Amino acid sequence: MGIDTVRVEKLRGKPLDGQAVKRLVEAGLLWLKTNQQTVNSLNVFPVPDGDTGTNMMLTMTSAWNEIKDSGEKHAGRMVAVVAKGALMGARGNSGVILSQLWRGFARATQDSAIIDAEAFVRGLVEARDTAYKGVVRPVEGTILTVAKDTASAGEAALAEMRDPIDILARCVPAADESVNRTPELLPILKQAGVVDSGAKGLFFILEGMLRYVYGKPLDTPLTTVQPLSSLNFENAMQEVEEGQDYEVVVDFFPGQQFELHKFYGRLEEMGTSIQVGEGDGMYRMHIHVPLDKRYEPIDYIMGIGTITKVAMENLTAQMDDMDARTKDSKLELAKVESDQIAVVVVSPGPGLSRIFASLGVAAIVSGGQTMNPSTQEILTAFENLPTDKIIVLPNNKNIILAANQAKEVTVKKVEVVPSKTAPQGLAAMLAHNPDGELASVAEKMTKALSEVATGEVTRATRTVEIDGVNVKEGEVISLADGKLVASSKSIEEGVMAFLAKAQAAEHELITLYYGEDLDQSEANRIVDAVRQAYPGQEIELQDGGQPHYQFIISVE
Amino acid sequence: MTLGILTDSTCDLPQSLVSQHQLEVVPSILILEGKEYADGIDLSRDEFYKRLPALRSHPTTAAPSIGAFTARYQKLLDAGCDHVLSIHAAGPLTSMVHIARQAAQEFPERVTVVDSLSLSLGLGFQVLAAAESAEAGIEAALAAIQSTRRRTRLFAALDTLEYLRRSGRVPGTIVLLGSLLSVKPIVELADGEVKAIRAVRTTKQANARMLSFLRQGGDLERLAILHTGAEARARGFLDQLMNEMSQAVPRDILMVNVTTTIGAHVGPNGLGFAAVTR
Repeated sequence: MGIDTVRVEKLRGKPLDGQAVKRLVEAGLLWLKTNQQTVNSLNVFPVPDGDTGTNMMLTMTSAWNEIKDSGEKHAGRMVAVVAKGALMGARGNSGVILSQLWRGFARATQDSAIIDAEAFVRGLVEARDTAYKGVVRPVEGTILTVAKDTASAGEAALAEMRDPIDILARCVPAADESVNRTPELLPILKQAGVVDSGAKGLFFILEGMLRYVYGKPLDTPLTTVQPLSSLNFENAMQEVEEGQDYEVVVDFFPGQQFELHKFYGRLEEMGTSIQVGEGDGMYRMHIHVPLDKRYEPIDYIMGIGTITKVAMENLTAQMDDMDARTKDSKLELAKVESDQIAVVVVSPGPGLSRIFASLGVAAIVSGGQTMNPSTQEILTAFENLPTDKIIVLPNNKNIILAANQAKEVTVKKVEVVPSKTAPQGLAAMLAHNPDGELASVAEKMTKALSEVATGEVTRATRTVEIDGVNVKEGEVISLADGKLVASSKSIEEGVMAFLAKAQAAEHELITLYYGEDLDQSEANRIVDAVRQAYPGQEIELQDGGQPHYQFIISVE
Repeated sequence: MTLGILTDSTCDLPQSLVSQHQLEVVPSILILEGKEYADGIDLSRDEFYKRLPALRSHPTTAAPSIGAFTARYQKLLDAGCDHVLSIHAAGPLTSMVHIARQAAQEFPERVTVVDSLSLSLGLGFQVLAAAESAEAGIEAALAAIQSTRRRTRLFAALDTLEYLRRSGRVPGTIVLLGSLLSVKPIVELADGEVKAIRAVRTTKQANARMLSFLRQGGDLERLAILHTGAEARARGFLDQLMNEMSQAVPRDILMVNVTTTIGAHVGPNGLGFAAVTR
């Protein structure tokens, strides 16, 4: 599909006002959404963690929701609303940085009724500066680098051209190159053989804007095939569209005449949330379809290849089940007085939520590895509390920035105690004193973070070599305080590998929080083995209920 | 004027100091599986802490009878004391002071009852201060008690929440009682109230906290390491203490297996200290 030159000329003649900004934002969002899974698959660690594509998409969606019904003509004022929406919806580190880029852009263009070339570049430069300032230790080879290279390309282009469209056209390839350079700047990316996910997400937003200008489609699903291991259907499940009640997954070996373009085309007529993966010649197709079309994909694929496996699930029922599970755990949260300090925690599972509640937290935001809560969700949690003194425990390294952002937005006095894991959060909670002085309580809680070593045991989402550890997809991997330390054949071995690494024999207490994927009897069996191996230590087993991670472990 | 001093067995003063200062001590009462024992007399503390974990019912404690007080007041007055100073365990936590006051009514103007607002050596050090200045008269003794109380800090690291939970004597500020995790609370006794300071999960963490609380006090005039049937732990803590702050501690450090009145409510293997700063 080439460039629609007539359209480009027409757009070039039009001033970039509020409504034009709105269309560009929508285009950026749509293109990011279309490529969301591609961004999600760019995961350095082979662990199921915060999906960057989804986080950035949700951040942009929050921005879009603020402006979609707006008739604002003033470009600066429109960008300001976008920035506010992005800020409140920011999820995960990349989402937060994305929202800061918008904030900077908005600040530089607030008085521009129309964004001309100068204002556009001014916006890019201020976006870059704001984002860099928002991060304590900026890391190159990330979304920040792409923001920087994009701004530089814009500045260079300004010398030659006078139309923001032409500047954008220069910026997009610069962003693309910058994305491709990220593995050179950040060794861990090179090791994992990927480009940076947040960087790629930002590129898609910019490219989406340019595709809109060029009149290229934004909603065609990628006619590319992902590696099977990167297919992640769980995110797809989080947004079930009205009427698309069934999820169908078909594994098949395609016949001779298989053409990916045609295949996608046909699937699009049937449903949404289409994903196709391939591994060793086998294809896996995922689609959401309405009730009456639930057999269509199967019938169609039977005609073009050999089906090996079919799975079909009623999404509506699944969603209800998920809702019921989150609701049934009624928690008794601490009641705080208006002069006390309240603690808000982000908890990855219902069991851990119960434990946090039993230690006196005042509000719980659900979210963890795969589901990062937005700035807004964290904000709502503490705005609803009857006190002005709040301590937030993010319990995940990818949620700390959003928590900090919530702190900046609110009028309440908030301290973020940067807990990176649930056990760290629990250790901090034990140092909490609701009647103390906010800063000193936060300091004591922060000190407590270093009192535990955290282990995580999960299954590798893909094959990779990181930090000298060879991991095959599906194997059990162990992480010690976020670092990959071992790859094993079984969960029990994974637990033991972490404990050895953490020198558990030198410590007093091992607490194991088992996840939702593990049943209690299996958890008990593994814990018995741990008891045998560590007779000198106290061993405690708790139902954590966290998804994806069979065990979260603390050693202290 | 000769001043006699009566205290109760929750003061945890060792026999040598009791004899040296000619103190009179009324034992508190412990009720174990339906049977009454005089604290430290009918049942040794070592024995008590050994039996504690295996008891089927939660032990309870009681104050001695009014008669036990009047008998001792009479004894001191008969022995030639002009006045008796009766110093006891925290009024808000035990009925000791209340009963002493009732008994004192039988000896108008001859007995002064003082609520130490503390327990164990928190009480014991006030008694010692009073005894040391007894010769200067009751006003001096009362002033010494006030001064010591103001400078005393008493902390305890419990090994478990279980006994506190079962005792029903729950400090109002403890939010940890519902804890699903096994935790070890650290409490402070001040002004006759037990306050939870924080909790930890391991003995090592508890010892580190206790040491830092102790360090905050600066130079110490008196110090007692308290434990509930956990001498090894207390010795380990003392070693740590001598390594890290031997300059700031007094020459004589008491090491005490604390009164069953406390032990029944906090459980075995606890560690604490009572410290009087300079």
